[in-house]
Amino acid sequence: MAATLQRMVDSSTYHQRDFAQVKDLLSLAPGQIAGLKGIPGSGLTRIGLSLLAPYAAHGPLAYLDVRGWASPLAAWEMGIPHDRLVIVRSSDLVAWGRIVAILLDGARGVYAEVPAGVRDQALYRLAAKARIKRTPLVLRPITGELPSGVAHLYLKAREVLWEGTEAGHGSLMFRRTLFEVSGRATGGMWRMIEVEDDGTNDLRVVSHVGTQTSLVVAG
Amino acid sequence: MWYPTWALRHPWLSQDKPARAIESLVPRVEISEPGTYFVPIAGAVEYYGGEEALCEEIERELDPFGGDCRIGVAAGPFASYQAARMTTRSKPIHIVRDDAAFLAGLDVSSIGSDELAGTFRWLGITTLGALAELPRDAVIARFGRPGLEAHRRASGTDRDASPRSIPQDPMVESHFDPPIDDFEQASFAARNLAQRLMGNLAPYRIAPHRVIVTAIAADGTARSRTWRSADPFSERSLVERVRWQLRSWIDGSSAGIRDGLITLRLEPGDLSGSGRQMALEEDAKGVEETQRAFMEVQTIAGRENMLVARPQGGRDPGEQVSWSRWGDEADTADRDLTAPWPGRIPGPAPALIPPEPIPFAVTWIEGVPDQVRLRSSCVPVLSWAGPWRKVGRWWEGEGASDRYQIVTPAGAYLCEVRDGRTYLLGVYD
Repeated sequence: MAATLQRMVDSSTYHQRDFAQVKDLLSLAPGQIAGLKGIPGSGLTRIGLSLLAPYAAHGPLAYLDVRGWASPLAAWEMGIPHDRLVIVRSSDLVAWGRIVAILLDGARGVYAEVPAGVRDQALYRLAAKARIKRTPLVLRPITGELPSGVAHLYLKAREVLWEGTEAGHGSLMFRRTLFEVSGRATGGMWRMIEVEDDGTNDLRVVSHVGTQTSLVVAG
Repeated sequence: MWYPTWALRHPWLSQDKPARAIESLVPRVEISEPGTYFVPIAGAVEYYGGEEALCEEIERELDPFGGDCRIGVAAGPFASYQAARMTTRSKPIHIVRDDAAFLAGLDVSSIGSDELAGTFRWLGITTLGALAELPRDAVIARFGRPGLEAHRRASGTDRDASPRSIPQDPMVESHFDPPIDDFEQASFAARNLAQRLMGNLAPYRIAPHRVIVTAIAADGTARSRTWRSADPFSERSLVERVRWQLRSWIDGSSAGIRDGLITLRLEPGDLSGSGRQMALEEDAKGVEETQRAFMEVQTIAGRENMLVARPQGGRDPGEQVSWSRWGDEADTADRDLTAPWPGRIPGPAPALIPPEPIPFAVTWIEGVPDQVRLRSSCVPVLSWAGPWRKVGRWWEGEGASDRYQIVTPAGAYLCEVRDGRTYLLGVYD
């Protein structure tokens, strides 16, 4: 199944213009960079893979796995064919930038965990290379945050709510994650969105979509 | 200016010798695919006094090689190839005087794309003549680049033959001082050498079907082995072959490289330009770029750390993945994907799975998970599901275990309770 992102919005409460903007929010054009911030368990891996999944139709995707924990099961569930995903395991901080740079040359999309200690300059250089090569790049810092200006789309997980389990009964079925979205994708504003994930290849952006607050610029 | 061209089909021989034999009569032969040659013959026809005379000369020249030789003569490569295919053993030469008329009667499946031919047939276009009568703009608008190629072929205006010019001495070699006695070092040198060879051949847009790998040891002994491939070697496939060969010489029981390797040589043969007529150039380039990039990453990260995976059966998420190294033949899956696997954890799958189950600090109160320690803080368990009982291979001493899904404010986890201890199996990230 091809990965699809379905976006639902309560259109009665939001303007059409907002809906059009939100429709493209959870997508990544060639050469754009997404940054993910949140603790393991907040659903960011699946979100990041879903951003890259459409590019698997054109060639292999690469996942740079710093922790050595990446499992392809979630990628397959997000619609990435098993023969279109290459996982590179490397925790070597020195080689990290070089590996990502080379993967940007060859892969059609790159998901890279960012180890602690990577310098901002290295991230800016990689972002520039991704734009030049028109390869979408998803960066997931293990600790800390990405420097400003690197990511086109920056997603910070705020809350996670699981449904399906109850005192020993049922099983995990449905996750609702509240994200704070910022970056150039939101036109200098930040938004709160809620993403529903039922474990299939469909993610749904639901309530709170379009909620936006003007960015206060001091100075 | 459009020159008459003829194709020669010679399916069983190695490519280089017949090509040289033809080049003794007509310079510059294009090797399209194994056994198929395209040769522009405008000048040669005048010199030999006609197409029939030239074909007979070539037949005589190829006679020592034996085999079933077929010749088609037409104005374009596609028509000449089709003409050659229509020959018989008793009548091995087919000369086409009017390409358009000849092609018009051929079935639309001759264009070489089953998918496109099926669509044309569904639209009622069953012959190349009917296809050629369609406005080219309309075909392009509907089918894009493949449609344009098909229309050109049907019209007999596919392309000019572009004969090869073979480099004089494509052999490459490297010398090592001090001698190399370690496989990894030799492997790295082999990769560089293969890249150099393919890089030298790339401007001519040809690739070898045969490569002789020669290794000279420090004690003066030389060992060589010939590798062949039905398809032209790519950079990656060539590197693989050379690595395999070196591994067998260096790490093998025969101890073939005494005192270390001082010279490694690659001699290509049976050069072919078959890659030229493959998919769109940018696609081919993309594939080559990908292979090269992944090989480079593999060198940096290590062969064991660049992995691809296939689904397989299993009860735990970790068991449901069959790993293999990128570039290696995938092993047969150990576990049947279609088997029922009772006790299998229902989806969604955790996105993060530790390589081995790791101890997980869960506080249990009367068999119910109450708190989870994450780093230095404790978080309450909001809800949980399970257990899913897993019975191990008791005949091999494996015990049973219970798996639980635990939900906390920080996320959801899959854990296993075995022998009274809790282990983390996965994180639903």
